[in-house]
Amino acid sequence: MGNIKEAFLTPIFKGNPISVLVLGICSSLAVTVQLKGAFVMGLSVIIVTGLSSLVCSLLRNTIPNRIRIIVQLVVVAMMVILVDQVLKAYAYSVSKTLSVYIGLIITNCIVMGRIEAYALGNKPFASLMDGLGNGLGYAMILVIVAFFRELLGSGTLFGFQVIPQAVYDFGYANNGLMILPPMALILLGCIIWVQRSIQKDLQEK
Amino acid sequence: MNTNSNTYTVVYSIILVVIVAAVLAFAAMFLKPTQDANVKKDTIGQILTAATFAGVQDADILDTYKAEIESAILVDFNGEEVGTLNIDECEVYGNSDLKRQIAAEQKALPVYIFKNGVTVVPCYGAGLWGPIWGYVGLEGDLKTIKAVRFGHKGETPGLGAKIADEPWFAESFVGKVIGAGEVLFEVAKPANRQLPESGVDAISGATITSQALGVTLNQWFGFYQNYFAKNGIAAEEVVDAVINETGELEPVTEVEPANTVEE
Repeated sequence: MGNIKEAFLTPIFKGNPISVLVLGICSSLAVTVQLKGAFVMGLSVIIVTGLSSLVCSLLRNTIPNRIRIIVQLVVVAMMVILVDQVLKAYAYSVSKTLSVYIGLIITNCIVMGRIEAYALGNKPFASLMDGLGNGLGYAMILVIVAFFRELLGSGTLFGFQVIPQAVYDFGYANNGLMILPPMALILLGCIIWVQRSIQKDLQEK
Repeated sequence: MNTNSNTYTVVYSIILVVIVAAVLAFAAMFLKPTQDANVKKDTIGQILTAATFAGVQDADILDTYKAEIESAILVDFNGEEVGTLNIDECEVYGNSDLKRQIAAEQKALPVYIFKNGVTVVPCYGAGLWGPIWGYVGLEGDLKTIKAVRFGHKGETPGLGAKIADEPWFAESFVGKVIGAGEVLFEVAKPANRQLPESGVDAISGATITSQALGVTLNQWFGFYQNYFAKNGIAAEEVVDAVINETGELEPVTEVEPANTVEE
């Protein structure tokens, strides 16, 4: 059981896929302008990483080694299309906001990376937990970045105005830079900086 | 079993692909009705925005539409009514229907007339990366723009996508007049426009999307020109003006094969 707990918890902080492994950066820049989008994107990635790791782990002893990457790709693609279809049916406005990025989960290095590195060599339940944990680690960073970007860039959280009009009357202005992707990269850099100063073993000598 | 043999690999991949295809086909068919309903609701929401009913909650869209619409008709290129759309079932022309009309010889162009006097007409054309479309609400004279709503499939976020995202862009259309100058409508910088009242500023950095929007609007206003002329209030004046214009004007030839066929 210790193994399974570790598989789930490590990627959330100590081995976070974004801030430690630096995987899946592209989508974390693209969908973090607003919390709502980041939230749904995070949820979608959790589902995709969890289920694809589970399925690939179940199949791991039958997959022919020469086509294993293709098999992984087919499984991940299936999950991504399913998530996309369900969002289009039951969360249309969110699916419109995220547009192409849901489809691009398939290119998210975290999904394939975890299948190749973990699911193919471990039991199904542990793989499911590893997938969910990595998805959660990814979602967490996304939400943190989106929180700052939406708050400072638009003055809102989840679309609700949180910075009162009185503050604007004093001459405060939303930071337009926050809306643009480069600021996500800089915020991400700050998160990695904070994590490395807490976790000394990550620092290169 | 030898999982590395050729036979095994081939059979394995065939089975895997068939299973995945079956799952996806089932999901697509099962979810299609819900997805189509969403798309239709979204279209009606855009039509409502162009009819000055902006910001209607998702759940109220269909009811608002039924309550506010006066009639929804189909007209041909000559402006004659050729059919109606069922209001009770909220029948509207979606993007694929609009796309068909561009090349169709016998056009059936939707016109949505609302009880508040606003007439909404659609447009649909090619943007930079994919299709762009829009709904234009006109006042009773069928020349003055009351409100607009644009949409796109995948224009560049932060640049071309502004046609849908930026409130100032939609607001800049309000009060503009179709066909005051030689071209029906222009999306360009002020220095390049013939008349200030029949055009709006293009979006900086989104040249191709802006130009495409101008071409699309001109094409569709061209389709509707005869309908506008016949049905606009103060009809006499307007008819004269348009007949003179069609005599001289080359109706925006860039992407308009259908138009020339008709004439």
